Amino acid sequence: MATLSKPKADVLQGTLALMVLKTLDVLGPLHGYGIARRIEQISGDLLAVNQGTLYPVLLKLEQEGAISSEWGASENNRRARFYQLTREGRKQLQAEAQDWQQTAAIIARFFQLKKEDWS
Amino acid sequence: MKSLRRFFARLFNFATRRAQDERLREEIAEHIALQTEDNILAGLSPIEARRQAMLKFGAIESMKADYRAERGFVLLENLYQDIRFAVRSLERTPGLTAFVVLTLALGIGMTSATFSMVDALIFRPYPVPQSSGVVTVVSTSHESSYDGFSYREYLDLRDKTSSFEGVIASAEMEPVGFAADPAATPRVKGGMMVSGNYFRVLGVEPHLGRSFRDDEDLVPGRNPVVVLGPDCWKHEFAGDPSVLGRTVRLNGTQFTVIGVAPETFPGMLIFGHPDFYMPLAMAGLFSANPTKNFFEDRDDRELLVRARLKPFVTLAEARNELAVLAANLQRDYPRFNRHRGAAVHTQFEMRTRGDDVNWRFGVIFVVLALSVLLVACTNVAGLLLSRARARTREIAVRLAIGAGRLRLIRLLLTESVILAFLAGLMGIAIGYGVVDWFQSQQNVIFMTDLPFAIPFRMDTRVLLASLALSCVSAVVCGLVPALESSQSDLVNGLKCAEGDGPGRKRSWGRNALVVAQVSTSLMLLTAAFLMVRGFRRSLLDGTAFAKDHLLMAGFDPRLVQYDESHGQQFYKQLVDRVRHTPGVRSATLTQNVPLGGDFFDYNDVQFVPGGLLMPPGRENFSSPMDTVDEGYFETMGIPMLRGRGFRDSDTADTPLVAVVNEQFAKHYWPSGDGLGQHIHLDNAAGTPVEIVGIAPAVKNQDTFQRPSDFLYLPLAQHPVARLTLLLRSEGDPLALLPAVKSAVHSLDLNMPILHTMTYEDLYLNQTVRGPGIAIKLVGAMGVVGLLLAVAGLYGVVAYNVSRRTREIGIRMAIGARSSDVLRLVLGKGLLLVARGIVIGLLMGFAVERMMNSMLFNAGGVDLLAYAVVLPALLLVTMLAAYLPARRASRIAPTQALRYE
Repeated sequence: MATLSKPKADVLQGTLALMVLKTLDVLGPLHGYGIARRIEQISGDLLAVNQGTLYPVLLKLEQEGAISSEWGASENNRRARFYQLTREGRKQLQAEAQDWQQTAAIIARFFQLKKEDWS
Repeated sequence: MKSLRRFFARLFNFATRRAQDERLREEIAEHIALQTEDNILAGLSPIEARRQAMLKFGAIESMKADYRAERGFVLLENLYQDIRFAVRSLERTPGLTAFVVLTLALGIGMTSATFSMVDALIFRPYPVPQSSGVVTVVSTSHESSYDGFSYREYLDLRDKTSSFEGVIASAEMEPVGFAADPAATPRVKGGMMVSGNYFRVLGVEPHLGRSFRDDEDLVPGRNPVVVLGPDCWKHEFAGDPSVLGRTVRLNGTQFTVIGVAPETFPGMLIFGHPDFYMPLAMAGLFSANPTKNFFEDRDDRELLVRARLKPFVTLAEARNELAVLAANLQRDYPRFNRHRGAAVHTQFEMRTRGDDVNWRFGVIFVVLALSVLLVACTNVAGLLLSRARARTREIAVRLAIGAGRLRLIRLLLTESVILAFLAGLMGIAIGYGVVDWFQSQQNVIFMTDLPFAIPFRMDTRVLLASLALSCVSAVVCGLVPALESSQSDLVNGLKCAEGDGPGRKRSWGRNALVVAQVSTSLMLLTAAFLMVRGFRRSLLDGTAFAKDHLLMAGFDPRLVQYDESHGQQFYKQLVDRVRHTPGVRSATLTQNVPLGGDFFDYNDVQFVPGGLLMPPGRENFSSPMDTVDEGYFETMGIPMLRGRGFRDSDTADTPLVAVVNEQFAKHYWPSGDGLGQHIHLDNAAGTPVEIVGIAPAVKNQDTFQRPSDFLYLPLAQHPVARLTLLLRSEGDPLALLPAVKSAVHSLDLNMPILHTMTYEDLYLNQTVRGPGIAIKLVGAMGVVGLLLAVAGLYGVVAYNVSRRTREIGIRMAIGARSSDVLRLVLGKGLLLVARGIVIGLLMGFAVERMMNSMLFNAGGVDLLAYAVVLPALLLVTMLAAYLPARRASRIAPTQALRYE
């Protein structure tokens, strides 16, 4: 079990990171809950449960320098941690988006193939 | 790049992890609060809204774990916990901790001091760039595998080989009369003749000025130029850069200073740091052996030849080339080079050759120091073991609530690593102390005018070695107890505080420790005992001449530009004057005094015994010699066994005579009497010399030497420039000093007097105190080893017995008598000691053989050493077993049964 769930979590983390970057790119600085809600809205059930998994991803991105964070006031004037894309993060997003699209395009092409195309 | 950044972020996080935890908690709280609000807006009740929010967030703790894993180093954090835990638990038993640290520190300190010695004597590379390419070339013959080369041979080596980038030669460092100002009275300094390419081939850039040019070492006597050593430059010229071009006087001749060697190059010798360097071409002024022609005689082998290998040329290729060259020399110069080869050795090979005293001492010291460390380690392991046992319940609890065995071992090892680290620091301090003490003995070890220095120091290499040693000892000390106690049987462990489960399997660790301690300390003691006794004994035989009431004063008329006949005249007048001074019983001139050490040049003489057929392939024999005048044997108190000493009537014009010692006579004329026989100097065609007297064997070079051949030649027939005046006084010998000084000054106001001291002082210094330092060190190791072993032995044995208090109580309760109990306990202790003694005896014999072959040249077993050491160890073990056993046997059974 443990061996199976690990790669899946990695994939999830990888896509989650990309989604975080894109969300921050489009919407500007957001706190953790805000990011979680946006992703949920767009991706449906990916973050319907286990929203907490977002935080390790945020930390990883921050440690890599893709995003930065600082304390700010949330909608109801409480202290919240706001995350923001850095210049480096923007570059990373562009590169990874391109990679992702390429990969997705290739995979998509493979799945369009029918049996007669292989012969 | 990204991962590097993550690494540093993690490092930062590790330091600030409290604040980070706080931040995460706050973020989670805020997240859930916001979600709850949204849920309320969506129409849920506040309680349900919060419940849904929590569900949606997911498992907080597992997320926190992910978060922490992302944030920092799990291992590092665990380590930090282990360290804090270990420090706390060590703090709980400060006495034990201090004892353990002290014990290990002694072991590590002894070893690191020894390392610093061995490093300086053997491993430290030459202070030149790419020192691994510098090799030593030696001339080999039947008698010696490490001869030097003559000047002519050096030129052949330099010009006819292609394996080397350059071939250099240097003479021995010698006393040279030095005057910084041509008008000043010369003082003695250490100068070394080197070939013109010396500095260039070694790659040493002068600090100031330049080094020698090849053409300055071309024509004998043409270029009086000198390169100063860094120390001389600083002390004699106060580091003045304008020294270049100045004129100094060396042995009476004006030399021009052309350069100063850099601070980083104190010279190629281990101990000596030459004050200045002269070209070989100036040998006429400095050569030690005036009977030979330095530039012409192919058998005047005074030069040490080194070479730098060309890149990509292997040692084997260089050796082959030299073998060919040596064969050619044999063919071209059969008279001088018959059966003479050449060999190439690396620095390491040269320093570890079998006949090297430094190497022998180094090996012995390292073996002994490591033994001390081993005793210290077993000691500490024993203590940690008993400590771990006292914690059986704690460890059982830890295992019960789920600590892995590996984790537990790591925890216990952390403790010993901390102990070893503290001990390492302290040990290094002790090492510094010992090295400092050595440095402070500098003047005792080298009581000479020449620039010798003790090269031992605690440098990075030694420090690293000491740290590595601490780590190793940590593992050695910690692993056995850690393994044993983590094997703990849970049920039993939880039940009793420090009990032992049944079965004997458990005690192997402790038993092994006892055996190791007994055997190692036995070996150490044997070594220390042998060393001290061997040294004592060596002082007794062959040194039995009267050493008191003798004053020495050395002269070298060449220092003030006397030629040979002028010098002889000076000596004649000097002896005439002092001989008639009141208080002087007799006076003599000699080239060397027995056991004078570094003060003198001990020469060998080549000869062929008359009427003896030389074995094939051998041209002559050689023997150590001394040149003395007619008063020598009387003044030194060495009586002639047969025949006569030298007389006034033995002059340059009368037939040549010699005195040999008993050993010499027996060696060459085993059946008959050497008296009246002849020897031929140099070779069979040499002048015949009649042996007119046979003297008793006197040790000349060091007290460890076996009685060996010795030959005396009369000064009148073989003039020598550098001589020592010996006066036998009626009262205090130093009281004669003013008279000697005034006699010398009345002859020549400028004549320097070299080493004025009593012979007794010299003797004490050279043969008693100098080697005594080494003896003291070995003795100290023996004592430290013994103390540690006794403490450890007592601790382990007594602990073993005291753990059986309950068992003993039961035995007593069901009717055993105290004598039965004592027998039981003692029997077990003695069995262990007996095993240890057997192993220790074997190791002791091995060490004895090694020391005998290396130092004392004596065979046989020193029974007295064992007779003293064995009972001492037995006594200690008996005591260690007896005291707790007696206590246990006197305890009331009711009490013993409750005893825990």
